[in-house]
Order: sequence, then structure tokens, then C-alpha cells
Amino acid sequence: MENLLSIKDLVVKFYTYEGVVEAIDGANIDLKAGETLGLVGETGCGKSVTSLSVLVLVPPPGKIEGGRAILKTKGRSFDLLSQGDSFLRGIRGEEISMIFQDPRSALNPVYTVKDQVGEVFLHHRLKELCERVLDGIEKDLSKGNSLKNFIYRLERKIYRTMLKNPKSFPLKILSRIPLVKWYQRRLMNEVKKEVVRILGLMKIPDPERVAEMYPHELSGGMAQRVVIAMALGCNPELLIADEPTTNLDVTVQAQILELIRELKGKFESSVLYITHDLGVVAELCDRVAVMYAGNICELANVMEIFKNPLHPYTQALLESIPRPGKEFRTIEGEVPSLINPPQGCRFNPRCPKATELCLQRKPVLTELENDHFVACHLYAGNL
Amino acid sequence: MGPAVKELKFILSRVEQSPLSVAGIAIIVFYIALALLAPVLAPPPYGDPYMIPHERWFPTPQPPSSKHPFGTAEGQLDIYYGVVWGTRTAFRIGIWVVAVSLAIGLITGTISGYYGGVIDEVMMRFTDIIFAFPALILCMAVVAALGPGLDNVLLALVLVGWPFYTRLIRGEILRVKQEDYVEAAKAVGCSDLRVLVRHILPNSIYPVLIVATLDIGAVVLTAAALSFLGLGAPTGYADWGQMINYSQNWIWSAAGNPWQYWYVFIIPGLFIFTFVLGWNLLGDALRDVLDPTLRRR
Amino acid sequence: MGLRAFIIRRLLLTIPTLIGVSLLIFAVTQMFAPEQRATLYIKDIKQIKDIDALIEKYGLNAPVYTQYFIWFGQVLSGNLGYSQTAKMPVAEAILTKFPATAELVLLSIPITILVGIYLGVQSAVHRDKIIDHITRTLSIIGWSLPTFWLGIVLLAIFFAGMGIFPPERLSSTTEDFVHSAAFIKYTGLNTIDGLLNGQLWVTWEALQHLVLPTITLVTIQIALIVRVMRSSMLEALNKGYITAARAKGLTQKEVINKHARRNALIPVITLSGLLAAGMLNGVIITETVFNINGVGRFGATAAIGIDIPAVLGFALFSCILFVSANLMVDLLYAYTDPRIRLG
Repeated sequence: MENLLSIKDLVVKFYTYEGVVEAIDGANIDLKAGETLGLVGETGCGKSVTSLSVLVLVPPPGKIEGGRAILKTKGRSFDLLSQGDSFLRGIRGEEISMIFQDPRSALNPVYTVKDQVGEVFLHHRLKELCERVLDGIEKDLSKGNSLKNFIYRLERKIYRTMLKNPKSFPLKILSRIPLVKWYQRRLMNEVKKEVVRILGLMKIPDPERVAEMYPHELSGGMAQRVVIAMALGCNPELLIADEPTTNLDVTVQAQILELIRELKGKFESSVLYITHDLGVVAELCDRVAVMYAGNICELANVMEIFKNPLHPYTQALLESIPRPGKEFRTIEGEVPSLINPPQGCRFNPRCPKATELCLQRKPVLTELENDHFVACHLYAGNL
Repeated sequence: MGPAVKELKFILSRVEQSPLSVAGIAIIVFYIALALLAPVLAPPPYGDPYMIPHERWFPTPQPPSSKHPFGTAEGQLDIYYGVVWGTRTAFRIGIWVVAVSLAIGLITGTISGYYGGVIDEVMMRFTDIIFAFPALILCMAVVAALGPGLDNVLLALVLVGWPFYTRLIRGEILRVKQEDYVEAAKAVGCSDLRVLVRHILPNSIYPVLIVATLDIGAVVLTAAALSFLGLGAPTGYADWGQMINYSQNWIWSAAGNPWQYWYVFIIPGLFIFTFVLGWNLLGDALRDVLDPTLRRR
Repeated sequence: MGLRAFIIRRLLLTIPTLIGVSLLIFAVTQMFAPEQRATLYIKDIKQIKDIDALIEKYGLNAPVYTQYFIWFGQVLSGNLGYSQTAKMPVAEAILTKFPATAELVLLSIPITILVGIYLGVQSAVHRDKIIDHITRTLSIIGWSLPTFWLGIVLLAIFFAGMGIFPPERLSSTTEDFVHSAAFIKYTGLNTIDGLLNGQLWVTWEALQHLVLPTITLVTIQIALIVRVMRSSMLEALNKGYITAARAKGLTQKEVINKHARRNALIPVITLSGLLAAGMLNGVIITETVFNINGVGRFGATAAIGIDIPAVLGFALFSCILFVSANLMVDLLYAYTDPRIRLG
């Protein structure tokens, strides 16, 4: 299987009042086309920052300082981290989409669902929508009388311009004048149709009505479905899901997971699923990457990880899953501050198997067995 | 005491870093010095130190000279003397009004916020009525009823100002009242007063302080406006606004050259402006520092 | 709470406030003896001998609560007393002088809003860059300037110094023309009347006279709006939906103008009440400095001349304006924020 996305040696730093936070220090992830890759780690280990880096959306004071994010699409490869803004805007929402953790804050409270989900279509599917509008106008032309036809011909002219050159200056002016703006209703109708369609695919009941609602009128689960609809609107190749169920009730969580599983099949997208819940990983993912303090420690098939965890951190994580009858184990120590991260391997202060080498040199993520990658000096000799 | 001290140090360090806030503090320190040193810098020759001395009675203002560093206004009132002692007037006005308004607001706001119920409703309607008047207009009405004079101006400003603090403090009390540590204190058996003083007030006080600092500037501006209109200090009194009121005629006198008597209105005006600017800069800096969302950038 | 409930509640709140205001003003009148209060209604000295009749007529000897209702009735019927400083009944004075004030305020409000919002947005978007620093500095300077001083200095620079932008509403010759039969005062606003009469030079002249007063009036208001807009914009830009919008592929401009600005405007709308108060306060000073024959200057001269009925009438009038403005602002806010509108 081909790699859809390859993140190589990603370095991200945050310049804050207290100092420079070395959030991501050389992360490497490979995501294959059609697979669901889980990205697991504790809060603050850098999972979200990694995903935002792919879309080059890291907010200031963060800066992407190094590395590459190679996306293979339409038969070509692009390094996303060195592309210009307009290229990236074409990718966002179209080839790569994102679902956010808190659906309520991801939705703008003053705009309707229709407006927000529709934005994706207006941006990436304008040509198709214009063509549909023009078809509709042709139909009206054949039926209408002379007065109406005059108006229809005007509309046809406007939409033909929109088709050829959406950024044309006269169009910009027209779209600002309050009464003249009415011509947009045809376009908005088409957009609404698309929105209703995608909402229906999200198993949202009565999508027509929901489309007209405002975010505060939606329940948590409904809001998250809307956010997923926004992301899947243009059938992206890669869907990045940043802890989409963390803020939801457990029952709703199950529904959303089920939905994501179905959609995966229907849309044939690859998914980068970020979570701190190992149970979800077991349910949903094909491969798993374990992240700690800005580095990827282990990357393997989900079965492999659970059966044969190699990195001490992964082992400790699995040990700490509470099970009835088993003694409750935690990982000693605390997540380090990334302003002055530990030297060498960042896990060494808490690692029960740390050696001298671990304090000096940083381990590199290397392939050990079949498709099982580890970043740990313990296995350096076994290569 | 540990975290409180650390917080204070953080605030001071942030304040140090911003050039605007340093400028604000510098300005205020300058004015404090000016006010304290007034008797030294401009010794009052006779009687009430707040009445600007004049040796003669010429109506025409004289430009700055060695005897009168800032020149003289109509009737030979020494401008230099006026602005120096005017500093004291300004401080008197600003600090007195804000302190009294704050004190009244503290009491009424706390009672209103803490006990709620009918008391709260009545107080809110009361403040609503005062809020229905634009500040200057209410002051004008009060001063017109009581008669012009600086004391009445102060009274009017307090009357206009206290509801604002009431609302502010009440809001803070309402917010803090619901916090868990207040529940905890009550559960342990603290009396109402103790809960208020030890738990609620220290946590509500910061925004109030910021507002009070910014308010000093606003109060001085309003008082100056009232004096300018002729409703404040009497003619010849050392008050910046008064001095500008008196100076209006002299802008048009020399046809085509309004700047002939520039010292008469520019100098007192500059003093008002910089004084208020100092307090505003300080208040702004405090607000930037104490605002949690803008802090850790 | 739905929109309808919000509006009803808001309207109901206005009534006790207005009644409270009238009570306060009435209370001030009670500080004077009945004879003094009677003088509030007389036109000239000669009527003093009929003072007992006046006391009877206005019930000034009756018990307090009766007096209040009589007084209130008088107010509702338009009798606010007689102003010695303006030499006409108070109500008439306010009505005839109002257009001058309205002209100034109607010009100032859109300028304040548009400039303030624009600068606030730019300042937030380009945070910590040159334009931010300049805007913040100018804003803090504007907030610290005494309005009257600004007006005087502007007059000195432009009018006395350069001969442009004169004070008052019109030059004396134009003023005569406007009062003559050749000119019909449709609205009392010289700018608009000039257009309606086809005498564009009147409009042009009126505008020239309005430049300095408008600048004086709006400076302090713009300073306030810029500060609030900036901070609410910064807050909006930090929100999750901004990142989500970017992740959909929107341009920076669209993100700012469509998503952030709409949310940032909401606190500014609630602040507009303060804006109205500032306008009413500022108008008094501005009209005095520029010698404009409006309601503000009327109030100021009344206060200096201890013209009690005029001061009280003016105060009452301002309150009504202010309360109405606040009501409209609250309704606008309820309409704009869907969380309130739809409950």
C-alpha cells in the first residue's frame, strides 16, 4: 500500500513568555492510503499540534521550524510545509479535512448550520454548483414569459461570469449591494441541497430542519455530526479526527464511533484518529502510533501493539489500563515540561529500563520487525 | 503568602516591560511630586493658597517672562502658580471622588450582591434611575440646584459615580459567591462577614481597582468640563478647567493670530491632558496585565 | 429566553426607570418654596402679583403626591415651565433647538461607528505591528483629551489660524437667507434642507461649519470603540471556530470579516449605550465651544444662569433620549445574537 501522508522530522516550537516550548521534536509518521491510523498519547504530548501542522494551521506563538509533510495526491507528491497559502487553501477541506474536539467551539454561534457546512461547498465545488444553477436557469427560460426571461437571462450572465471568473471585480461589487444580492438565492438553494444531502449521510434526522438551526440549538452529538459533515463534505482523501468523542457522553460516543466506522467505508478516506483512549483505538484503528512528549515512540499494527508492545512507555500505558481484579498501576513521575525537556530520550526520567545511553542520545524511530517501528535504545542491537 | 507574592512579582515585571505603563507611572509620580512640592515651587503670597495671586489688574495677558514663567492670564493671574496648585486641586478631585464613590459602592454593592432578594432589586432600580442620566447632565442639574462651586461639583460627581461601583462590585460578588471555596468556607462555619472579607473581596478586587484607576482620569475630565462651563471653581481659583474657561476670549482677540496668547489656554490644557493620560496609561497597563486571556503571550 | 420575552421584559423595565427619573426631577423642584416654584412658570416680572393665582393653578400648595400628578400632567401636556435664559417656554426652546443638535449627532454617529470598527479590527488583526501601536496610542490620547480643549485648539488652528471650518452653523448672511421666505425649513437640518431646497451651497456651507464640531465630538467616542472592538476581536480570533474555518480552506480575509467580526461586534453593540451617553455629554461642550444654537448649549447656559425649569426640562429630555437609545441598542443586540433571538 502506498503512503498517503509522510511526516518526516517535524519540529514545532512555541515561543512563550516563560520560554521556548519544544513541542514536537522530530516526529515521523507514515499514513497509508485507506487505513485508519491512531495517534495515541497523554494530554500535552503534541498530538493536536502534529495534526495542525499537517494543515499548517499551528496558531502563534507556535512555529513550524523543520521537517516535511509529504502528501501524495492526484499522482503527485507535495511537501505541505513548503507550499504557498493559496495551494494550502485548496487542500484544506478538499483533500485533507479536520474534525475538532469540542463541536460547540468549532461552530460559529452566529451562523446557521447551512451557512457553515455550505461554506465548504462554496469554496471547493463552486463550478459544479454554478453549472447546476445554469441548468436550472435554462429550464426556467424555456418555460417563462418575456419579463421573467429577461431576468433569467441576467442571472444567466451573472452565473456564467461566476463560472469563468469567480473573483471578477464586477461580481464582487454586485455581491455587496443589498437588493441586487438576490441573485445568490439560486446558488444558495443548490448549496442547501448539498448540505441536506451530507447531513442525511451523517444520519441526522430531519436534515432540512437542522440545516436552518443555529449551533446552540443542537445537542452535543448532533453538533459533532455537523462538524463531521463539514469535514466530509468534499470527500477528502485524509480525515484528521482530533479526539472527536472526548467531550461527548459515553452513549453518544458509541454512536459517533459507529458513524465514523461506516463513513470510512462509504467515503474510502484514510483517517488519522487522535485520541488518548486506547479502547477506541482497539475498536477503530488499523495501525497505531504512540506519542510521548513530542516524539513518536512506537508505530505498529494495532494487534501487534496490544500483543507485543516494545517501547517501555507503550508497555506502561497498557499496564495502566484498569481491569477488574487487577492491581491499579500508574506510570511513575510526571510529563516533563517541554521548555527544558530531558536530554536524550525524553522518557528516560520515568523509564524503568533506562540506561546511560538513554540519557545522552535520542533514539531514532526504526523498523524492527515487519512494519513495527520503535524509538528505543533497548532494541538498537537487534537491527 | 507564597502565590500572592509570586503573582505580585509577575504583575510588576509585566508592568516594567511595557513602555507605556512605565510612562504612565512616570507621569503620575511627576504630578505627585508637583503636588507635594507646590508650596516650595510656588509659595502662596497671602491668604488662601488656592486663589491665584495677581499683582496688578491689567486685563491683557502677558507672555512668559522671568517673573512669570508661564505668563499671566487676564487680570494678571500667574499661570505658573495656577497650574502648580491646580495639580493639588486635580488630585483632590480625582482621588476624593473616586474614593468616596468606591466606598459607597463597596458597601451597597456587597449588600446587594451578597444578600440578593428585595434589597437587590430595589438597589438595581435605584441605580437604573441614576444611569438614565448622562453623567454631565446630572452633574449640571445638581450643581444648578445647589449652586456653583467646587464642593458642589465634588458632591455631584460622587452622586453620579457611586452606582457604577455598586453594579461592578455586585457583579463581582455574584460571580465569586458561586465559587466552591465560598461554599466550603460557609460549610466550615465562617460567619458572613468573615466569608466576605477573607474570601470574596480579595478575589473581586482586581477589576475594581483597574476601573478605579481609569475612573480618576474620567472624573478629572468631567470636573474640568464643569469648571470650563463655569459651574465649578470660581474665577481666580487654581483649577485647570477654570483657567481655560477664563481664557476663551483671548483666542479671537488678536485677529488672525490666535496664538498670540497661546500660553493662556495651551498650558492649562496640556496639564489636564497629561494628568489624565498618566492615569489612563496606568489603568490600561494594569488591565493588560491582569487579563488572564492576554497574559501568557 | 426567547426574543419576544426579552423585548417585553426590556420594555417593561423602561417604565419604572422613566417614572423614577421623573420622581427624581420632581424631588429637585420640591427643594424650592411654592412661590419660587410658581416663578418657574412665569414669563415676566409683571406676573409676580398674580403669584397666588399661579400657585392655585398649578396646585403648588397641595399635598406632595397630588402635586406630583399635577406636575406630571403638566409635563405630559408639554408645559415644562418658562426659561428665563432663552426667553421662551422650555418645551418650545427644546423643540426649536433640537434640529441643530440632531444635525451634529446624525453626522457623528456613522463616522464614529465605521471608523471605530474598522480601526479596531485592523488593530486586532495586525496585533503588535505598527498599525496596532499607532491606533492604540491615538486611542489612548483621544480618550485623555478634554473635549472642550480639543475644540478650542482646533478652532485656533483652523479657524482663527487658517480661516477655514468656521464655528456656529452658518455664516450670518446665510443664516438670514435660511430664515427668509425664500428657504423652506423642512427638517431644520441645514444640510438636508439645503438639498431639499435645491440650494446646494447652503448644504456645502453647513458641512464646512460641521467639520470641527464633528471631529471634536467623535474623537473621544472613536477612542472608546476602538479599544473595545480590538479586545473583543482578539477574543473572537482565539476561538475554535476560527481554526475550523481555516481548516475548511477559507482565506484570511474571509475568516476575519465573516467569522470573527460578526462575533466581535456583539460586545460593541452592548457598548453603544455608553456611546449614546458620550454623545449627549459631548454635545453640551461641543455646542458651547462652537457656539451652535442647539439643545446642549441651551442646557449649559441654563445651568450657568440657574434657570431651573430649563435645566430640569433639559435633563428630562436627555433622559428620555438616552433611555430610548439604550432600549434600541438592547433590541438590536437581542436581534443580532441568535442565542438570544431564538432562546
